[in-house]
Amino acid sequence: MKWISIFCCLSLLMGPCPSSWAGVVDESELDIQTREIAKTLRCTVCQTENIWESGAPLAQQMRNVIRERLAQGQTPEEIRAYFLSRYGDYILMQPPKRGINWLIWLGPFLLLFFGSLLLLREVIRWTRATPPAPPPPTLDERARQRLDRELHSES
Amino acid sequence: MSRGTQITLIVILVGLFALFYQGLWGDPRHIPTVLIGTKAPTFIGPDVETGRPISLDQFRGKVVVLNFWASWCYECRVEHEHILRLHREFQHDPNFVMLGVNYQDELSDAQRYLQRFGSSFPHVRDVKGTIAIDYGVYGVPETFVIDQHGIIRYKHVGPIVGPTYDDLKQHMLMPLLTGTEPSTL
Repeated sequence: MKWISIFCCLSLLMGPCPSSWAGVVDESELDIQTREIAKTLRCTVCQTENIWESGAPLAQQMRNVIRERLAQGQTPEEIRAYFLSRYGDYILMQPPKRGINWLIWLGPFLLLFFGSLLLLREVIRWTRATPPAPPPPTLDERARQRLDRELHSES
Repeated sequence: MSRGTQITLIVILVGLFALFYQGLWGDPRHIPTVLIGTKAPTFIGPDVETGRPISLDQFRGKVVVLNFWASWCYECRVEHEHILRLHREFQHDPNFVMLGVNYQDELSDAQRYLQRFGSSFPHVRDVKGTIAIDYGVYGVPETFVIDQHGIIRYKHVGPIVGPTYDDLKQHMLMPLLTGTEPSTL
């Protein structure tokens, strides 16, 4: 009886899981495409989120627009071009690779490259400018005899 | 490090700092619109007060001021009396039309808002948010001016008050309604 009760409790607890799994499994091609496009577009009222992740009503409406346009047969490129024509480059999560935007894409690599060059140049210059270490002073006869004595006495 | 390299590094650092400073103190609302000079998207929607359909096409050949608002928006309340004043000033011109677009709102809230604060021109309900998206709206209030040829000539994000009101009236609406070229705002 005890085991039946435990089994029933576990069944009740597990109950909601299959339906939520089903939601994921049943994701249609339209849902997938909507998600992929929505992830590339910025939520204009929350600014740091894309419209797929945003809970803002405008983001929800934008997702609906994407879905409707996909259902009408538009391609992802056409849908992105539509949003771009309404909001400009700002709507894109990744700035397009053209014009001044190349500075954003290449800037960090250029800074790293030229910074490394500068660092390398300075290290080479510093190592060249540093005089080599002077040779150790030679032992005079008295010091050498003393050293021999001490070494022999230890052995 | 040579003197020349030092100067170059200082110039780069000052440039980066200036960019950062500008971004820090610039107006975050200022995002250049891509819609100026383009054809105004047409739309059709129910009137907030009567439910009758309103279409932009029925105002073809007129100068249209399109004001996006919502009852939950504080800045819309701030500008509301100025919007009504703007309408009063130009309503006798047969080429002038003013349209409100109610954005992301409950119908009952929008109707109560108009009853409380007054309404002298029609307001379209943007039921699915598609009008706002078509006009690249970020938030409310936002105001557009469409010329007689159906071209978007002006967009302002924020309330139409103070100098913005004067600029809109004198440098945009009056020239458009008198057939002269408005100055760039």
